[in-house]
Amino acid sequence: MLFKDQVNFVMQHIKKNKLRVFMTVLAATMGCAFLIVLASIGFGLQDSIEDEILSSETVTKIEVLGSQALFTEEEVADIEGVENVQTVLKTTSVDANVAGYMEDRDTSTSLRLVDFTDYAAVSKPLSEGKYPENENEIIVGYHFGQTLLNEADRKLVEEKSKAAEAEGTYYDGAEEGYKDSLIGKEVEIALSTHEQPDVLSDRKTYTIVGVMPEPAYEWAIENRIYMMDEQREVIENMYSQAIADLEVASDFELFSERFDIYAESLEYVKPILEELRGKGYGVYSVTEQLDELNVFFLVLKAGLVFVGTIAVLIASIGIFNTMTMAVTERTREIGVLKAIGASPKLIQRLFLMESTFIGVIGTVLAIAISYVVSFASNALLPIILKAATGEDGFNNVQFSAIPWQLVVIAAAISIGVAMISGLRPARKATKIEVMQALRQEL
Amino acid sequence: MIKVTNLQHTFSIGKRGKERQVPVLRDVSFDVKKGEIVAVVGKSGSGKSTLLQILAGFMKPEHGSIVVNAQEIAAFNEVQSAKFRLENFGFIFQNFQLMPSLTAFENIELPLKLQGMNVSERRKRVEVIMKKVGLTEVTDHYPNELSGGQQQRVSIARALVTNAPILLADEPTGSLDSETEQDILMLIQQLNRELDLTFIIITHDEEVAMIADKRYRMHDGQLVKEGEHNAF
Repeated sequence: MLFKDQVNFVMQHIKKNKLRVFMTVLAATMGCAFLIVLASIGFGLQDSIEDEILSSETVTKIEVLGSQALFTEEEVADIEGVENVQTVLKTTSVDANVAGYMEDRDTSTSLRLVDFTDYAAVSKPLSEGKYPENENEIIVGYHFGQTLLNEADRKLVEEKSKAAEAEGTYYDGAEEGYKDSLIGKEVEIALSTHEQPDVLSDRKTYTIVGVMPEPAYEWAIENRIYMMDEQREVIENMYSQAIADLEVASDFELFSERFDIYAESLEYVKPILEELRGKGYGVYSVTEQLDELNVFFLVLKAGLVFVGTIAVLIASIGIFNTMTMAVTERTREIGVLKAIGASPKLIQRLFLMESTFIGVIGTVLAIAISYVVSFASNALLPIILKAATGEDGFNNVQFSAIPWQLVVIAAAISIGVAMISGLRPARKATKIEVMQALRQEL
Repeated sequence: MIKVTNLQHTFSIGKRGKERQVPVLRDVSFDVKKGEIVAVVGKSGSGKSTLLQILAGFMKPEHGSIVVNAQEIAAFNEVQSAKFRLENFGFIFQNFQLMPSLTAFENIELPLKLQGMNVSERRKRVEVIMKKVGLTEVTDHYPNELSGGQQQRVSIARALVTNAPILLADEPTGSLDSETEQDILMLIQQLNRELDLTFIIITHDEEVAMIADKRYRMHDGQLVKEGEHNAF
């Protein structure tokens, strides 16, 4: 029998029992949609957490354990010699209070000394401007302008903070501060010790040439000042002025350095980690957290798929029932087909095609419905949760994600179960005895 | 064309563990030549339907041989039997056994679909056969829109459409009135003459058996040849 004729034959019987087939398809659809939507929660949450981790850190960054973060020049050369290591970036923090002054505004900030050539190679693009090329040029953190306040701003911030506190919320001062572009503006910097914050060094003027990218965390306020490594001596002198008569502890270090290793791309992080550990360095990467996270979510998703499969199995009872009834109803027709020469294999195939059809249509509908549910839950749940809890942190949470792999897994389970459900009735059809079938009442 | 030798078959009757063996075919032997009409006459329960089922390959005999066109078919498995039936046998049943959801045309076309024939060739074949058995007016009618005689003509057309050389008829006029019965018997004789087809007719009706060239009588599972048609 030609395949087209087989399909026509099956479709003819489906049309004859539209309602019953529709109800069975509906059950299969619900089962499969439940499976997809349930598992999509696992995929969605994993995506959200992965995004959170990956956006907060540079994925190619390999961090060095605190106690070992100070490398000698030989060690830096050794690490840079490892294959696919892009650079070893040194960052120097200044352990002092830093005050910044611009026009009638001022801010309290902190200071970092970096090698901008290395830094530019591994950092995200600046939100504005360029990296310093001269010693008196600096770049500032994304929120530097926001934290530059004058007296009027301070009053406003204070009022708004009080009002927010009364409502049980928090005001971050985003509406105040310097709003124009900072590029080309001159900033005066003065240092003081933690012990005597009022004793300030002489001011030194720098020009802002760039603004750092927005930090990954919404809540983070980044207003640091980044200047060239070569300014180390200048900063040291300014700090000496601030010390004045103060007695400084003998173990105090104004500069604390840390080294971060950057791989050329994400795929090299693992091999580099292994090689550096082999050399005795204490290193770790955010991608290792992802590995652990992936294992956790793999187990979670497998569990959700398993629970969803139970729904598909329940739907399969409907398919089994429908197919058994179809075989019983068509006993005489099966008898005629066998009598005129239909092979048992053909009869089995016709019934399997019918149950497969139910499974396929159910799966296709389920996939479409699941995408709608997934889209709707991602759009509506943050709004509902915000209304219920008053928290605003749900906007970036993805509650449901349906990758193609989930669609493939769910389709395979759903169609597979539908075919297996139809197998027994189909086999029963092949075992019908011709003469007995033909004796059935019309 | 067909040679049946020492065919034996027994049915188990009764509850499990207390079955009773009832012989339904005892040493049945006969032969049929090409182009013959052979009638097997017998009362209900004589074993004639069992003989038809075994000849058609619906069940296997316990013992004996059936050779059709030099092929031993008694030992065929289910798949071989189905294939052999599709190519060599046409069936005419008492209750016509048409598919109620298919039109007259589609019912006749069904064995050709099973053979995997393409649509245009199927159409040609079915139109020729429908013309031959006088069904051109009812092509798109469903079985419940046809008279008993028309339904049996559709059944006969379905049996003929594959050009099967042997037609097995089980009480072919059992559901028809006497006038229609005569029409169908005449049609069988006409097809036998014109197409040189071989008919094996199982019937309890002596009148139907009258059209046969050879007549056998079945009694308690034994088959006795009654003689040539002309001898009656």
